[in-house]
Amino acid sequence: MTQKNRIKGGLIDRSKEIKFRFNDKWFRGHPGDTLASALLANGQLLMGRSFKYHRPRGVFTDGSEEPNALVHLRDGAYQEPNTRATMVELFEGLNATSQNHRGTLEYDLLAVNDFFSPFLSAGFYYKTFMWPKAFWEKLYEPVIRSAAGLGRLSMKDDPDTYDKGFLHCDLLVIGAGPSGLMAALTAARSGARVILADEDFRPGGRLNCETLELGGMSGTDWAAQTADELASMDNVRLMPRTTVYGAYDHGIYGALERCTDHLADGGDKPRQILWRIYSRRAVLAAGATERPIAFGNNDRPGIMLAGAVRSYANRYAATPGKHVAVFTNNDDGWRTAADLVAKGIEVPVVVDSRDTPAPIDLPGVRHVAGEAVMNTIGRKGVKSITLTNGKVIPVDALAVSGGWNPNVHLTCHQRGRPTWRDDLCAFVPGGDLPVGMAVAGAANGAMTLAAALAEGQAQATAQLDALGIKAKATDLPQAEDEPRGAAAFWHVKQSKHRAWVDLQNDVTVKDIKLANTEGFRSVELLKRYTTMGMATDQGKTSNIAGLAILAEERGKTIPEVGTTIFRPPYTPVPIGALAGRARGKDFRPYRLTPSHKWAEQNGASFVTVGNWLRAEWYTRPGEQGWRDSVDREALTARTSVGICDVTTLGKIDIQGKDAGAFLDKVYANTFSTLKVGRVRYGLMLREDGICYDDGTTARLDENHFVMTTTTANAVTVFRRLEFARQCLWPDMDVHLISTTDGWAQFAVAGPKSRDLLRKVIDAEHDLSNEAFPFMACGHVTVCGGKPARLFRISFSGEMAYEIAVPARFGNSMMAVLNEAGAEFDAAPYGTEALGVMRIEKGHCTGNELNGQTTAHNIRLGKMVSQKKECIGQVLAQRPEMVREDAVRLVGFRPVDRDKKLIAGSHFLNKQAPADMEHDQGWMTSAAYSPNLGHHIGLGFIKSGHERMGEIVRAVSPVHGTEMEVEIVSAHFVDPEGERLRG
Amino acid sequence: MIIDHPLLGPRDAAEFVYLGDAALIDRPDWQAADAMEQFHSYGYLRDNPAGQHQELWYHEQGDRSWLVVTRNTLTHEITAVELARDVARKRGRGK
Amino acid sequence: MADFTLIAEPPLKGVDHNFGDTRLYAPDDLAIVSIALPLGAEDATLQAVKSGFGADLPAPGQSVMGNDDTRLVRLGPDQAFAIFTRATPDAEPHVQSLLKGAAYTTDQTDVWTGLMLDGPLARTALERICPIDLHPDAFAEGAAARTVMEHLGVLIIRTGPDAFLLLSASSSAGSFLHAVETSLVNVT
Repeated sequence: MTQKNRIKGGLIDRSKEIKFRFNDKWFRGHPGDTLASALLANGQLLMGRSFKYHRPRGVFTDGSEEPNALVHLRDGAYQEPNTRATMVELFEGLNATSQNHRGTLEYDLLAVNDFFSPFLSAGFYYKTFMWPKAFWEKLYEPVIRSAAGLGRLSMKDDPDTYDKGFLHCDLLVIGAGPSGLMAALTAARSGARVILADEDFRPGGRLNCETLELGGMSGTDWAAQTADELASMDNVRLMPRTTVYGAYDHGIYGALERCTDHLADGGDKPRQILWRIYSRRAVLAAGATERPIAFGNNDRPGIMLAGAVRSYANRYAATPGKHVAVFTNNDDGWRTAADLVAKGIEVPVVVDSRDTPAPIDLPGVRHVAGEAVMNTIGRKGVKSITLTNGKVIPVDALAVSGGWNPNVHLTCHQRGRPTWRDDLCAFVPGGDLPVGMAVAGAANGAMTLAAALAEGQAQATAQLDALGIKAKATDLPQAEDEPRGAAAFWHVKQSKHRAWVDLQNDVTVKDIKLANTEGFRSVELLKRYTTMGMATDQGKTSNIAGLAILAEERGKTIPEVGTTIFRPPYTPVPIGALAGRARGKDFRPYRLTPSHKWAEQNGASFVTVGNWLRAEWYTRPGEQGWRDSVDREALTARTSVGICDVTTLGKIDIQGKDAGAFLDKVYANTFSTLKVGRVRYGLMLREDGICYDDGTTARLDENHFVMTTTTANAVTVFRRLEFARQCLWPDMDVHLISTTDGWAQFAVAGPKSRDLLRKVIDAEHDLSNEAFPFMACGHVTVCGGKPARLFRISFSGEMAYEIAVPARFGNSMMAVLNEAGAEFDAAPYGTEALGVMRIEKGHCTGNELNGQTTAHNIRLGKMVSQKKECIGQVLAQRPEMVREDAVRLVGFRPVDRDKKLIAGSHFLNKQAPADMEHDQGWMTSAAYSPNLGHHIGLGFIKSGHERMGEIVRAVSPVHGTEMEVEIVSAHFVDPEGERLRG
Repeated sequence: MIIDHPLLGPRDAAEFVYLGDAALIDRPDWQAADAMEQFHSYGYLRDNPAGQHQELWYHEQGDRSWLVVTRNTLTHEITAVELARDVARKRGRGK
Repeated sequence: MADFTLIAEPPLKGVDHNFGDTRLYAPDDLAIVSIALPLGAEDATLQAVKSGFGADLPAPGQSVMGNDDTRLVRLGPDQAFAIFTRATPDAEPHVQSLLKGAAYTTDQTDVWTGLMLDGPLARTALERICPIDLHPDAFAEGAAARTVMEHLGVLIIRTGPDAFLLLSASSSAGSFLHAVETSLVNVT
């Protein structure tokens, strides 16, 4: 296809040609083109279909505010929906397809919706799909869902990568138009650290779209020269293709940089980077967005904003047609006529709603004053316009200008409310800006070039002043104050045909009137009822006209009806960019135990525990399933010796003259009396008296303790200890530091544990029961002088030790322990066997200490000392928490020993109905005990300790199970604790 | 948000963990005659001011200090940041 | 008893990659000992640090070099790290002997794993993961900060104009290395 609408000039590189595809047809463009400009140049005005009525639509704007020209870009898994053709830089081989049609773009089957439009007005589905009720799920919703939505996902994993980053600056300048460039230049020459971010690939903003002069050169040249100077400075980071999408607290801004979107092949580098910019100050120079006027059939391809038509002609050397009419309510619209004429495009008429003389003298251009366009003809492209005076004028395009709205969006991100300016007929930033932000240029209502430049400089100077940086004098380039007169004129009342306000959501003037009639009168309700201002463009071109029509209907002014404000993001941010690197296996960091490598080599399966990967069992040849391995491991530990990596338990090194007294305060039981070289079990309460955590704490020296916490609470216990140390008892000499990762710690459990350790621990250390009894601890050396810590503690209930070595030796230590244990048929065991053995011993874990249970419930009430101050002791004594008939922790076994117990089952007395009123408690943990040969469980049941031998029912409606269980002691194995003291 | 740590300078709030009202420093006397009542208030009752609020933040991904941050709950403006240990001492929790 | 030998296997041992002129490597035998200043006896501890290491403990957020290439990092009012090179697992008794009991010390060597990032890409790479402002005016040589990178706690110390020592938890060494390497790949 030839570039039949390509005209002379422009900022495109004609020496190079780019081939691209749209709807499987090949086109040609040039570097410097966007997809939209290249399609226009090729005469392809029809670019998509509308959301609801499937009306043919063409490109409407030249920027990120585009409501119509949304395309699927790229192929296969790379396909991205809702890409704005106006923001896509052309690259070789680009492949785009249009959206929102069934069948081809030209012949869309769903265009039938347009004929049903009388039934599809605002809120139609609230009214239409009410009954019969059963139809909603089966018919209405699936049909609506299949027809609705913008674009389609590829449903494949995104093959691109994304990154995040952090930037810091004195001054962030948002927008590289004239005021932004001037602000950045002022700050940069003054030595401040400056970031200048702009969503376009070419700095300059409207300077690249206009024929304005400044400083004796073209605006484009000045922009390029200024950008070059900024780019060459060490204290400046110039960020094109970067949208600042959100203003957050304390000068933090979110920005999305599109790194490889403009390349045919982005290689292996991140496609986009989500930046968090920490600015001390910011200047928002986001410019302004033009708005349309609503009139009959104002949505046809070829009808575009006047500023966009000018931009395509001047910057991209493309025109939507050869005969382009202009319809305006302001002086700026006339610039489009002037620039088109200068490019040799015929402008058959300028229709100005104002009954005033032409602000620009354009020989040969008909001026119709005080009239408006009320209708257009031409389904897939405008063919003629009908004026309010009845005249029909043949055209192939129409440029519409309804005035310009300052881009106040980021000023609202912290609930700032814009204020109305009558002279501009637009909202401008209000007084309550985000802290540290100033607004300059068109975004602030300084609509002329000279004013924008001056304000950019002034705001930058003021911001630097606030930072104590003296601005270096920089001459303002000479520029003019072009005419910007405008009138409030929002829609053409004489129009009998549907007049679109929001093109993206197919909201018409009639819909807004209907919403008002039906009582949806606040702007917030109007928005939600009609969907005006929603979706990808967030109503950038439509909102004000909608508000104006609502105000008119209600007989009020626009400031009286108010405006909806804006939230981040300013333009859409891909979910992939928000996720950054955090996907798949990199979703979060993982932690490995010191013996991980050995475990991998020895058949371990791993389970995720928080961020840790722990061995859950070690499969040996011939084992058919996990139970085989777990049963063997648990039996081995009870009959010989088992070895388990328990490094994940939190370890906190506690030192200080007041360390013992401090532990008395944070544990329910007493530690100041613990002897050096001994370990004690400790129970920690929350201040409300609920059990929080438990573990053992060893006293290595008079002023030196090592606390262990559960794996899950390692971080939060540390946090609470610091709270106690700093906020509650600030004058205690106590010091905390985590050593969790520093020591590889192994449980060596079973009757042969001492024999095994004798082979590893250096001979001078006496391991006899007398020298190193149950609950002893101390420093030892292993394998010929390597430092280690030994604790005689037991979670399994067997004679057991935990031995800790510096983590660097952990993998080797696991190998050594197993090698040394070979003669006893030692086996490593994982978390499952650990769990089985602790249930056999009635030890609590998170299942029991679940944030709802008290020391009284777990039958450790006596541990809560009332003789000394400790966290939780007072509220733990509340009557409800110590009532006699409270649930108590006991053991359970099935009456029919072949039955499997299910944790989560609730207990009911034998004849009681299965409802909450008769609930007696619940099963917290259940496992098969290979030592007993049947299932066992732990659980809470009312007054359980007094009900030994009673038979109750364990009911799980979730599993549909019910069985009889017997209440027994929670200590299934060695209830007297003889083994662990042996 | 950015919290201007009194020793380390401005740090992103992402490094911190929030706890709540700095009144949690004022833990009641466990031996007081009305200790149960006092602890009940301490544990469960909080002011919920729309405006200035003194609150506890923990610099978990930093120096592990607890801070008392004076923040306006309407605007997020932070007007003071102190080490909680100093505040606790000022409030008489020292020896 | 039988002859069993323990082999030291620090998680990132041997890591050494170049990305252009920028080098990422795990320093050998990095030893770390924490020093806690006893309440009320801080002056005596500071004196002991000075005589033990030949340098004053700096302000929080700073580090200085003392005797035998020991870097003293002040993390907070009552906590500091001594970072030095030592292969044997006796870093803590070594520091304790230098301080002669004037401070509480804890061996942190195996709690952490270290990566050195040295070269012109160092700052650009760290921009992708480090929220701290690393501009030399804001984070000069010797500056130190604990912060969070890719959900991992990291102690970052500027050891030269383009050189940073990064310390993070040894159990998550793999994720830590991946985070830094990915940053380097992304900016190379």
